[in-house]
Amino acid sequence: MESISSFLTHDHRACDEEFASMENAVAQLNWQEAQEKFDKFKNDLLHHFDMEEKVMFEAFEQRTGMTQGPTMVMRMEHEQMRQILDQLNADIQSQDKDHFFGVSESLMMLMQQHNMKEEQMLYAMADAHLGADVAKVVEDMKAL
Amino acid sequence: MFNQGLSLDQAPPISVPFRFFLTAPLFGILLGIFFFFSPFEVISNQYSPEAIGAVHLFTLGMLSMIIFGAMQQMMPVLAGAVVKKPILFANIVHTSLTLGTLLLAAYFLFSIKIALHIGALFLAVAFLTFSYYSIKLLFKVQFLTSTVKAMRLFSLCTFITVLLGLYIASSHMSSNIGESHYVFVNAHALFGIFGFAVLLIMGVAFQVIPMFYVAQDFPKPFQNKVPLIVFALLFVCFIFLYLNFDIFILKTAFTVIFLLFAYLGLKSLSNRKRPVFDVTLWYWKLSLCMLAVSMLIFLAGAMESNYVLAILFAFGFLYSLLQGMVYKIIPFLAWFHLTSKGYFTVPTLREFIDEKYIKYNFYLHVSSIILFVVAYYINPLIYLAAVLFIVSNILFLINCITAVLKYKDIANTDPMDMSAFK
Repeated sequence: MESISSFLTHDHRACDEEFASMENAVAQLNWQEAQEKFDKFKNDLLHHFDMEEKVMFEAFEQRTGMTQGPTMVMRMEHEQMRQILDQLNADIQSQDKDHFFGVSESLMMLMQQHNMKEEQMLYAMADAHLGADVAKVVEDMKAL
Repeated sequence: MFNQGLSLDQAPPISVPFRFFLTAPLFGILLGIFFFFSPFEVISNQYSPEAIGAVHLFTLGMLSMIIFGAMQQMMPVLAGAVVKKPILFANIVHTSLTLGTLLLAAYFLFSIKIALHIGALFLAVAFLTFSYYSIKLLFKVQFLTSTVKAMRLFSLCTFITVLLGLYIASSHMSSNIGESHYVFVNAHALFGIFGFAVLLIMGVAFQVIPMFYVAQDFPKPFQNKVPLIVFALLFVCFIFLYLNFDIFILKTAFTVIFLLFAYLGLKSLSNRKRPVFDVTLWYWKLSLCMLAVSMLIFLAGAMESNYVLAILFAFGFLYSLLQGMVYKIIPFLAWFHLTSKGYFTVPTLREFIDEKYIKYNFYLHVSSIILFVVAYYINPLIYLAAVLFIVSNILFLINCITAVLKYKDIANTDPMDMSAFK
């Protein structure tokens, strides 16, 4: 059975790869491709946030009764990342490579610090608390 | 608690890691001055008090200083382990580590005995406080990753190294250097270097290399078993030393393991998916190469003196990695704290420290290592090596201060100062 932890961790890695391939396009100054890769990355990242916020976090909060705890902080960090996406988009449109890499580095650090917290604590907690419902939560996330 | 480590508020205030990071290059400058004024035959003789003083300026003032600063930042993120009173904790650990290191160095340099007494006391406070809390916090972590497991072993090694160090210090105090003195000295060095330093670096590498460079993971069996094997080998080694057995087989085991670690790390970095170039990548690669070279020298026992080995291991492997890490962490923390406080115009990570100057630092650092090594054959070059090392550390300090000042300039403004909206 797929756990929340393995499913979402895998999705993190997939987003990381999208991110890297977007950076590759910018490094090669291939701006059109960069825009496409950015759109794909943005799409997948936001989809990942949705799977968490609309399905997994909801289930976790209902089960534990904790709405002000870890999920709240994760939502705040998602928000922080959403804002950086706009900056990246602006840099691609103005073809500002140096600024792009400054911003992309910030996003990378933020993303990885966030991922560590989720992968090492929240996902493991969610798997433990949701027990028998894990399969359904994973399925609901996939259906989104 | 349930949500420990998941809140932004639980990251320590920025002044906590910064004070440790800014102190390390100061000790680097001091160490450089020390190299400059000590005769080569004295400083390169591992049994001379001057050399022991130099080693401790490095291991305490630079290595432990940066590790302590970084751990206070990393434990909440990597392990959900939060120090409850971060400022008090940092005040105690930083002050006593700084004073203790200075006093211990003063004892070895000028044979001031009272400096040893007070210095050992300060160091005991710093290290026992740090190891007590890190053991307590890390062993409470519920969900274990290979990084947390390695960090637990690191925290135990910290404690063991300190106990051995205090035991050695007490025999210096009573001038009671017994037959088994060097057994304890060697064990202290082994637990300190392979346990305290390398185990932590392994644990961090397992996490940081794959995540931040979008690179391959270290193989799972390696991540899960190797730190434990290293830990166990340290005890076996202690027993072998105590019984006066030949430790060649253990040296071989350590060498094979660390070579494999360096190889896997370099392979992962070379095949990374992120195109991004930054100088910290150079630091990582240099560091892992130096680890490999120094382990081969360690195994071969090729040199009469351990001077070259110490230079390559301490400056080449450890200090390179620490500098690279600090250059990554400082801009991130500055940026992170500012954006979290709601500032709108924050420089990007690459704008806090001009990459050009990090590169200069790297070149100076590498040149000083090369010259230190060549000085083994052409002794007078030690002066040039020492000067380069000093300049390199000054630049390191300036670069870090630049970032901190940029942070302060912005932090001193009001994030909500958007007059139009008032």
